[in-house]
Amino acid sequence: MSSCGAVVGGVSLDLVDVSTQSVIQGVVSKAGAPAKVGYVRLLDTSDEFVAEVPVSPQGEFRFFAAPGKWNVVALIPGGSARTTVEAHLGKIADLEISVS
Amino acid sequence: MSNQALIDAEWALAHLDDANAVFIEVDEDTDAYAGNHIRNAIALNWKTDLQDPVRRDFVNKEQFEALLSAKGVANDDTVVLYGGNNNWFAAYAYWYFKLYGHGDVRLLDGGRKKWELDGRELVSEVPSRAETKYVAKDQDLSIRAFREDVLRAIGTQNLVDVRSPDEYAGRLLAPAHLPQEAARIGGHIPTAANIPWSKAANEDGSFKSLAELKAIYEGAGVDLGKDTIAYCRIGERSAHSWFVLHELLGVKNVSNYDGSWTEYGSLVGVPVAVGDEPGTA
Repeated sequence: MSSCGAVVGGVSLDLVDVSTQSVIQGVVSKAGAPAKVGYVRLLDTSDEFVAEVPVSPQGEFRFFAAPGKWNVVALIPGGSARTTVEAHLGKIADLEISVS
Repeated sequence: MSNQALIDAEWALAHLDDANAVFIEVDEDTDAYAGNHIRNAIALNWKTDLQDPVRRDFVNKEQFEALLSAKGVANDDTVVLYGGNNNWFAAYAYWYFKLYGHGDVRLLDGGRKKWELDGRELVSEVPSRAETKYVAKDQDLSIRAFREDVLRAIGTQNLVDVRSPDEYAGRLLAPAHLPQEAARIGGHIPTAANIPWSKAANEDGSFKSLAELKAIYEGAGVDLGKDTIAYCRIGERSAHSWFVLHELLGVKNVSNYDGSWTEYGSLVGVPVAVGDEPGTA
């Protein structure tokens, strides 16, 4: 039984066949530096929560979504930012989210 | 929110040094606790500590007693649980402590996430607690559902699937922070309402107001006068919803099906519904 737990920064791609996945990943930053503490939420287009991961110490995050459009929200102490992305099967969508 | 089961940061700060209060961080990822944690908190791993190492089941009464004794938890301690993932695993541990009859259990609203986002202190020092002789009660099976209970409930009692709409419909087989595994079928238990756990939580992981929580279930047409079984994928998100229903809203006859979709979706011969509608019995 695998867990539903969120791995810091997202699950590694090392053992994942990306051709079967629709990956959304990226880095959260503040004032040009990676956010060391924060959370990234994946929401569907109606803003229904789908998943969340804590960022890695380098501000990284990763999701394995279904193909389609998604909203992504980054939360860090004292701020938040949101963006939209389209995921495609077999591809990795890379995001850079800057929180002011 | 005023409820003894749910405490806020101010309550926590006032009781962090109480001799009979045990703060416990529960995460699947033990690296989180090892990195830092709330002062004086100890850790429990939901899997290696709370699951049988061989069978798919919980540790038994004697194993639970040995675990808590070694961790220095006494029967009359106030146990305060918190964790990551919007308190999924902490809520699961809360339900688990209740299952084995611990008297005073609390959940820190928002868990580790809200604590971190609020910029509160986290430390790396690991406290030492003197060993105890913990005595557990037999499992309170009124709050734990098994597959036979679920099959009997189809079309007659409330089944609440608290996974995301895409998991409920069968479009995703796991939460989207995990690779999508294809070993099981997708879908949901027929007649189950889809009320994602996340509807009960604010963005910072804290619970919504009691009025908002009540409206979520009433708005979904769930008759809380009936028995209710909550389930998700492995039983931890549904423990979060069990906490909302049973502990915050005071609804009786609510149980958590910890086998959840990883068990039900692998059973031979049981009915399954796919798509966004509950389906029929």
